[in-house]
Amino acid sequence: MNRRAVLRAGAGLVGAGIVGGCLQTESRSVRSPPLVADRPDAVYHPTHSEGMEMIGSTTAGEYKVAAMYSYPHRFWEITGPNTNKKELDGSHAMHLMTVVWDPETRVVLPNAGLTIELTTGGSLVDQTNMYAMLSQPMGLHYGNNVEADGDGTYTASVDIGSVPDDRVRRTGEFRGRFTDPATAEIEFDYSQSVRDGLSYEEYDDAGERAALEPMDMMTPSATVPPKAEVPGAVRGTDTSGDAVFVVAVQDAVPAGIEGDGQYLTVFAHTPYNRTVLPSMTLSGSLSGSGDPFALEPTLDPELGYHYGAAVSEVVDGRTLSITVDTPPQLTRHEGYETAFLDMPGAEVPL
Amino acid sequence: MGLDESLPRRQFMKAAVAVGGASALSACLGRAPRAGEPVPEGVSDSSELPQRQHAWNERVRGDDEGNVHLPRHQTILYLNVDADGTPRSDARETVEAALRTLDRAYERSNEGLVYSVAYSPSYFERFDDSLPDSVDLPEPRRLSGFENPEFDTQDTLLHLASDRADVVLEAEEAMFGDRSEVNGLAVADRLGDALTVDDRRTGFIGAGMPAERQTQRGEPISGIPDSLPVPEASPLFMGFEAGFAGNQATEDYVTIEAGPFAGGTTKHVANLRQRLGDWYDEQTFEERVMEMFSPSHAEQGRVEGVGANLGADSGIDAFLDSETIQQSIDEHGRVGHAQKAARANRDEDGNVRILRRHVESTDGDMASLHFPSLQRRLSTFEEVREAMNGDDLTDNPSVRQRVNNGILEYVFVQNRGNFLVPPRRYRALPTPRPA
Ligand code: HEM
Repeated sequence: MNRRAVLRAGAGLVGAGIVGGCLQTESRSVRSPPLVADRPDAVYHPTHSEGMEMIGSTTAGEYKVAAMYSYPHRFWEITGPNTNKKELDGSHAMHLMTVVWDPETRVVLPNAGLTIELTTGGSLVDQTNMYAMLSQPMGLHYGNNVEADGDGTYTASVDIGSVPDDRVRRTGEFRGRFTDPATAEIEFDYSQSVRDGLSYEEYDDAGERAALEPMDMMTPSATVPPKAEVPGAVRGTDTSGDAVFVVAVQDAVPAGIEGDGQYLTVFAHTPYNRTVLPSMTLSGSLSGSGDPFALEPTLDPELGYHYGAAVSEVVDGRTLSITVDTPPQLTRHEGYETAFLDMPGAEVPL
Repeated sequence: MGLDESLPRRQFMKAAVAVGGASALSACLGRAPRAGEPVPEGVSDSSELPQRQHAWNERVRGDDEGNVHLPRHQTILYLNVDADGTPRSDARETVEAALRTLDRAYERSNEGLVYSVAYSPSYFERFDDSLPDSVDLPEPRRLSGFENPEFDTQDTLLHLASDRADVVLEAEEAMFGDRSEVNGLAVADRLGDALTVDDRRTGFIGAGMPAERQTQRGEPISGIPDSLPVPEASPLFMGFEAGFAGNQATEDYVTIEAGPFAGGTTKHVANLRQRLGDWYDEQTFEERVMEMFSPSHAEQGRVEGVGANLGADSGIDAFLDSETIQQSIDEHGRVGHAQKAARANRDEDGNVRILRRHVESTDGDMASLHFPSLQRRLSTFEEVREAMNGDDLTDNPSVRQRVNNGILEYVFVQNRGNFLVPPRRYRALPTPRPA
């Protein structure tokens, strides 16, 4: 029986608690404050923030998965440079989130193709695609708004579809990894009152060019280290559409990539929180040496998620021009939906 | 689950098929639109019927364009053979006699009953021999990285279809329940004497049926948003017509040509749950056309309404080359469902390879699709499904595993099963190597 079916049954039976809870959902979503009028084309401070409830973590196949929930959120789906706002329609009970990582290296996996199936008492409550998402307090995660069926014990069955090789190249010990699907089951208690007890705060400085601090997700997070700690020799940085590109040169080409020269790496991240920005199409060219080359999205146990290309040698004094053919194809939470969309080329003197 | 007598008639008929059983049947007989109107009778000798159990196209409704319209009411029964091991010859005789009863009772048509019986790889494992090489029938498997289906490994699949709800119900009740006659004919042998129903799924298809069934007792079913968006004219929940003649394999093409099972075919049956809130509420009609057909269809305004204007062909063949697909992705960030799947659905001469016969369902108060597909070799279906996954098209990150990738964001595979539909002569509990 789905949530609405419960409401129907509830109306004729005991009902008061169930119906009351449902009204809560709706009043809560109605309470989401309106967006600020003049959003900058950049990262901005959102109107409000919401707490989250950790519901558990487990290991499935070669993946570690954690799940949490919060109030239903509005968010923006991205197709190329276009955004499509997903409104709250009152039918959802929570924003369900997961983070997936490699247990050994604690590298967070984007693009893992997640689907979630939510059941209670053996019957299906909701089943949905989990979007790869970017949020200021929650960083890179998978999420969607889902229905529930009143208070009770739920099983979230998370299907991890694998990380497609032609989407994210794997190097070093990650070669051949994350190609098998796996299913993780996490059981948790959900109640309206716990959800409604989650913190909720509105801000006066909404719309300003700033970001909420990352929240402790109790999971590893996909962040690029501070510039001084970025692996390799950092040769320069630039920004585009408010995204930061840190360019570093590695002396050796990681195992799994052809080439015996140097390895040019671009670490792309958000301003303020340094959250990794995956799922772009980037290309580069070096002044004086002609041909453009792909900066391939790559996942490496030491380097983490980056865009990279093997080059014979990165000569001093050259300039790396970075072209963004596709901006980060990640669903965005409020405060990120106007940034990283219009991304002009970046120039980094090396 | 009981039947609500206050339902409007058409809804009631669907509810009756979904519920099944003797009470549903008697209620249905009382309310059927043509209750009392005779159902055309079948043949006294089953050998007058074609060897191909899947020869439905000439026996159901068609339209002026040459498109086939599948029977409106369907029941798919998943059955197990009662005894362990190799089926005994008396069980085989019972099954054959029961099927002959159905053949005699009902005309093999949409006005009477069309049906087929099929057998799974697990069924054939009961025997020491294996199927001949002329039959390509792997066990069901996971066909995409993002699905985790339950595999239907029951022995036998009985697929009943008719434009008359009372016929599918009566046939089922006579074969497995306690009805003693079918279309006025006494029943001596029942399938239920040799086979037990393990699962029962119901389907429907036809303009108006999904719109009418998007609510149950006034509330949207699971997968349907509160906006109740399914267009009145649509035969499917997703709002478009499907199965145009030019986009379907012919029955000849999907028929096994050699070996003992020549005249048969293979059948894959998937069940896909649909979650259509975002499909309808978050997207424009043009975006739906892009994702269902192709971005080029939207650009050129090729699809009007539910797509009846397409006639007998979706026209997808014009947009299958990789250059067009790449250009569509670059311009619109999307690739179409039909476009992706059709790439693997043509042979060297341009013939269509699979014959889709999918119908909608509200089983369990959820919007879902029963997806039977017929093909000469089962692995052909797997190849087409792989093309539909579009894994090779995710170069541009706007096309993700499920997002902007045809309709994959909205459909969730729950079940998969593979079956051999033998020719009529071996339809009753066949051995893998019939002589
Ligand atoms: C809810 C689920 C589905 C819906 C609503 C749907 C609907 C459609 C529609 C409207 C078309 C275009 C018209 C036509 O050619 O029939 C189409 C094409 C197609 N569909 Fe689906 N479909 C669904 C699932 C599937 C699945 C699971 C497969 C499995 C492989 C599939 C295979 C195909 C193929 C191969 C074509 C292209 C036909 C050609 O070769 O021209 N569909 N579908």
